[in-house]
Amino acid sequence: MLRTAIPVALFVFQLGAIVYARFVPTRYFCWAPYDTQTDYVATATVNGKMLTGAEFRQRYRRPQRGFDNRSPQHVFDMLEQVEQKRSRFGDAATIVVKYRVNGKELREWHWPPPFQP
Amino acid sequence: MALASPIPTVISAPAGPSWNPLSFRGAELPTELLILVKVLALVVLLVNHVRILPDPWLPFVPGVDRIPPILFQRTLQTVFVTCALALVFNRRVKLASLILGATMLIGVVSSKAYYGNNKTLCALMFFLSGLYVPGRKPWMLQWQLGITYFGAGLNKLLDADWHSGIFFENWAVNRLHQPWYITLNSVLPPRVLARIMCWITIVTELAVVPAIFTQRLQYWAVCANILFQSGLLLFTGTTFTLFFYSMTAASLAFVAWPAAPVTVGYDLDSSFVNQVRRVLQFCDADRRFCWTPHSRDMGEWFHLPIGNRVYTNFRALRMIVLLNPITYLAIATLIAAVPDVPASAAYRRVVVAACLFLLMPPLASIADRILGHRQTVRITVTGGGNWVTQIQAASVRPSTAHPPDWPTGEP
Repeated sequence: MLRTAIPVALFVFQLGAIVYARFVPTRYFCWAPYDTQTDYVATATVNGKMLTGAEFRQRYRRPQRGFDNRSPQHVFDMLEQVEQKRSRFGDAATIVVKYRVNGKELREWHWPPPFQP
Repeated sequence: MALASPIPTVISAPAGPSWNPLSFRGAELPTELLILVKVLALVVLLVNHVRILPDPWLPFVPGVDRIPPILFQRTLQTVFVTCALALVFNRRVKLASLILGATMLIGVVSSKAYYGNNKTLCALMFFLSGLYVPGRKPWMLQWQLGITYFGAGLNKLLDADWHSGIFFENWAVNRLHQPWYITLNSVLPPRVLARIMCWITIVTELAVVPAIFTQRLQYWAVCANILFQSGLLLFTGTTFTLFFYSMTAASLAFVAWPAAPVTVGYDLDSSFVNQVRRVLQFCDADRRFCWTPHSRDMGEWFHLPIGNRVYTNFRALRMIVLLNPITYLAIATLIAAVPDVPASAAYRRVVVAACLFLLMPPLASIADRILGHRQTVRITVTGGGNWVTQIQAASVRPSTAHPPDWPTGEP
């Protein structure tokens, strides 16, 4: 029974993730490998100090300048979640990511997000 | 990609499973699934995947990051290596496969830094193989491949950058610096080649899905899967970490090995055939082939009946190689033993191209057609006219249900 129920549950989850991906910018668990190429350069300032490349990699576990073969939101997700977590310990960080999706126009992403009234 | 049968069969063995990593007998999984998990286990060991197993960091499941990171990581690594070695040495293979898959899945959901489609797929291949129910089709592995292709195809189909070719243009030119693409692209109108490549990908990925779920079309689904994944490797030079191995290994969920040793007739009078036979026999760790000499008068230097089909000469030789599980371990080792870095891309391309050339159906058929004539002449001279008729009749008997190289797995 379990040998059927477990695979079925896994497949339902994956099909759900495929549908869910139509409504969000992320592409987790929905089988979209190498569907988007994001190249980016990020700068981060934590408590007034700009991070070096090595410090950036240690803090966010990804290079300061690099590529991602999935949705750019996956990069932002990681940066954002690290800062949400670190803010509890009093860290104040600002991050600017300049990025291109599939080689198109340059865009920017900011943390914290710009104030929107 | 050798045999198809509705229900896979476990080869009965007098003793329990062997410790010999080259043996595939007597385990709890049918041969085809055992090959699948052992090949993947060998690959994860060869590429030293254990070193990137994560500590909990930005997990998908809340609370996992409260576990002490070193304890978590070391536990995953220990279990991972233990299970992979258990698979290689045929120890409790179903349990080892289940736990190895679970370990990788835990790694995937516990760290966004580790998360990746290739790791998830590989983990699911292990995990679902571990859930195999004896006597039934491994339907869950087939479904997994179908869902993977469906998700991949649908996402591309709904992406404007894939419609226009923008994705491919950027990927091939700016990321991969693919020389033949750049050359061909320069003589074609802008983005035409990129559009063609994008749409071939979308159509292939989506067309494979119904073929996977239709018994009569599964042969073509397997062919498309292997050719598509090999094409990606030939184009990029990379295995996409574990993705190439996992996708191609999934093809084994559609085939079934013969339940009993198969009899191979060989030309006793030919010293060359005898030498080839000795090499093949040496590589046959499980004694899956029962070699029976026959007279040259038979007109065939190899004769391999499987189920309701008879393979002769080069086609028989190809099937003997395909039916030997060691073939798949050897191919995986050749690819995975060399680090997946740009400098070794040419090597991987050569290995995969050579395997496709030697093991896909056309070469054996062409060789039989070309060299078969020579043999006909030779035997006509030495043996008499009767043998010509026999040789001409000695070809693969096609079935209406499956293509010629897709026999059933009955002994």
